Amino acid sequence: MTTALFSEDQRDALQELTNIGMGQAGASVAAVLGEFVQLSVPRILVLKPALIPAALERIVGAEKVTAVRQGFHGDLRGEAVVVFGAAHCRELADLMGYDDSLDEAAERELLLDVSNVLVGACLGGLAEQISAEMGFSAPSLMASEAEVATLLDVSRMDSPCALFVEVNFRLEKRSFACHLVMLLPEDQILVLRDAIDRFLASL
Amino acid sequence: MDSLTSGALGNFIADRVEVGVFVVDADFNITLWNHFMATHSRRPAPDVLGRNLFDCFPELPRAWLERKVRQVQALRNYAFTSWTQRPYLFRFDHNRPITGGVDAMRQNCTFLPVKNEAGEVEQVCVTVQDVTDTAVAHQELAASLAEIEKEKAEQRKLIRELESAHNQLLQSEKLASIGQLAAGVAHEINNPIGFVNSNLGTLASYVDELMGVLDAYTGVHAQLPDAQRSAVEAQIDGVDLAYLREDLVALVTESREGLDRVKRIVQDLKDFSRMGESEAAWADLHHCLDTTLNVVANEIKYKAEVVKHYGELPEVECVASQINQVFMNLVVNAAQAIAERGTVTITTGTEGDGVFVAVRDTGVGIPPEVKKRIFDPFYTTKPVGTGTGLGLSVSYSIIERHGGRITVDSTVGEGSEFRIWLPVHHPAPAAAAT
Repeated sequence: MTTALFSEDQRDALQELTNIGMGQAGASVAAVLGEFVQLSVPRILVLKPALIPAALERIVGAEKVTAVRQGFHGDLRGEAVVVFGAAHCRELADLMGYDDSLDEAAERELLLDVSNVLVGACLGGLAEQISAEMGFSAPSLMASEAEVATLLDVSRMDSPCALFVEVNFRLEKRSFACHLVMLLPEDQILVLRDAIDRFLASL
Repeated sequence: MDSLTSGALGNFIADRVEVGVFVVDADFNITLWNHFMATHSRRPAPDVLGRNLFDCFPELPRAWLERKVRQVQALRNYAFTSWTQRPYLFRFDHNRPITGGVDAMRQNCTFLPVKNEAGEVEQVCVTVQDVTDTAVAHQELAASLAEIEKEKAEQRKLIRELESAHNQLLQSEKLASIGQLAAGVAHEINNPIGFVNSNLGTLASYVDELMGVLDAYTGVHAQLPDAQRSAVEAQIDGVDLAYLREDLVALVTESREGLDRVKRIVQDLKDFSRMGESEAAWADLHHCLDTTLNVVANEIKYKAEVVKHYGELPEVECVASQINQVFMNLVVNAAQAIAERGTVTITTGTEGDGVFVAVRDTGVGIPPEVKKRIFDPFYTTKPVGTGTGLGLSVSYSIIERHGGRITVDSTVGEGSEFRIWLPVHHPAPAAAAT
């Protein structure tokens, strides 16, 4: 049962809505950072929890990563995970108003700040497309310099399947890149499906 | 009394809630400042309302905070700070003036976009939550965890040392049985050596007497009738009597010397392994040194030539078997420090109210970082299985129990000198038994 939860039309609509949402997100991130942002076309999968770590590893590669998670709630409820490679986001210190010399705490705060901007922009962009109201909890550090496969403890996930939306970020002029993954549990997939239906009906 | 309208209720709650709430507009002018902020900053609302946030609080991290607020405006989205990375936004006194634990109130802050009718963000609301108690509990937990980790590391170290000590125990058990065996064998050898020695003495005098008799006979056979004379001469020539006489004496002498050496080795073994001995007694350290050198001669003879510079030494009150052990350690170490071939120089003399024994080698020397640890138990630079890492620490404790000192002077590439100083009088003869 991969994408069987969605009909062909629903799936196309979701892809389209996500594309538009991410386009807006790119624009607002660029506005905040003052630099042009490259975004990949979002990839949407419906996965069983056990398959999520493998999917993450396929996106990020086998390198050690640092990851931040952030919950969102409201009309849609789920979690977003931002995965940074070894280069981290030191690159972005000046764009976010930090000093050049970062201590460990400042570096982590910068990591959380950058994640919050990316998650806020992406989720906000999507929420706007489906007219959903969303709030966010504070981001927190999930893991530092850890194996990708160990990031998520899938045994603790009780949803039979999850919507996995993946976007890659890249700054044109800097060597910064990261991956953003949105995860929605099954009951929220149904909420999203209804929202898509409403959107399709309004066309 | 009338109930408050919902708007007034909202205002009341925003003002009185036990969370800091303030709002700034696009120019960072303060448009709301609740009771919590006023109390903790000691700046009442009328003082700050309408004024620029950074003018009122110049200590705020301006560049960062500006970006943060602009972010919220641009993305129309939340932003956060957590005490774990940024302990506080405003430096407020905490709620633990008595119990303490932190320098200032720990804060989690949330930045909320305040949207107008059109959905645009004109103002940004910031909430400041006092999380000092959580932070203190968190710190205590982290400290306990660190403490536990430290203890675990110490335990692991202890377990390793215990294993080491166990191996050492096995080793010394083995050495002790070998020592006992050697002492027993030495004792057994002594008996046959005794009668062989005494027989050899008798044999020597018999040989002497026989030679006298032979001397008396020499030449006399010339007066015998021809047939008998040529028979005797054939005998004398057949055995090469002149050489035989010479060699017989030499053989007896050499045998006695050989026996003397066996006796000395046996005596040294007995001296060295006097197992039961633990009482301090007066001893001649030169004798101890010579005994030790004899015992270890095999181990050092291919590596080093031993040079003795013995001075005048009084007898010293000590436990000779223990001091022997120290000497052996130093001499063997000295030889092992020599890579190819070198010299081990032993110098003795008096110093103050004691004596010194210095063992110098022309070996590789000891680097300073190793020198600091050479007397530590279980510290060894020798390959696994060669050294137990206890030799020098045992030597150290033996010398310490004798009220003496052991010091080391070393230059890498030139060699090392270990120097022992011992008082002539043992400080506490009774304690030496331990």
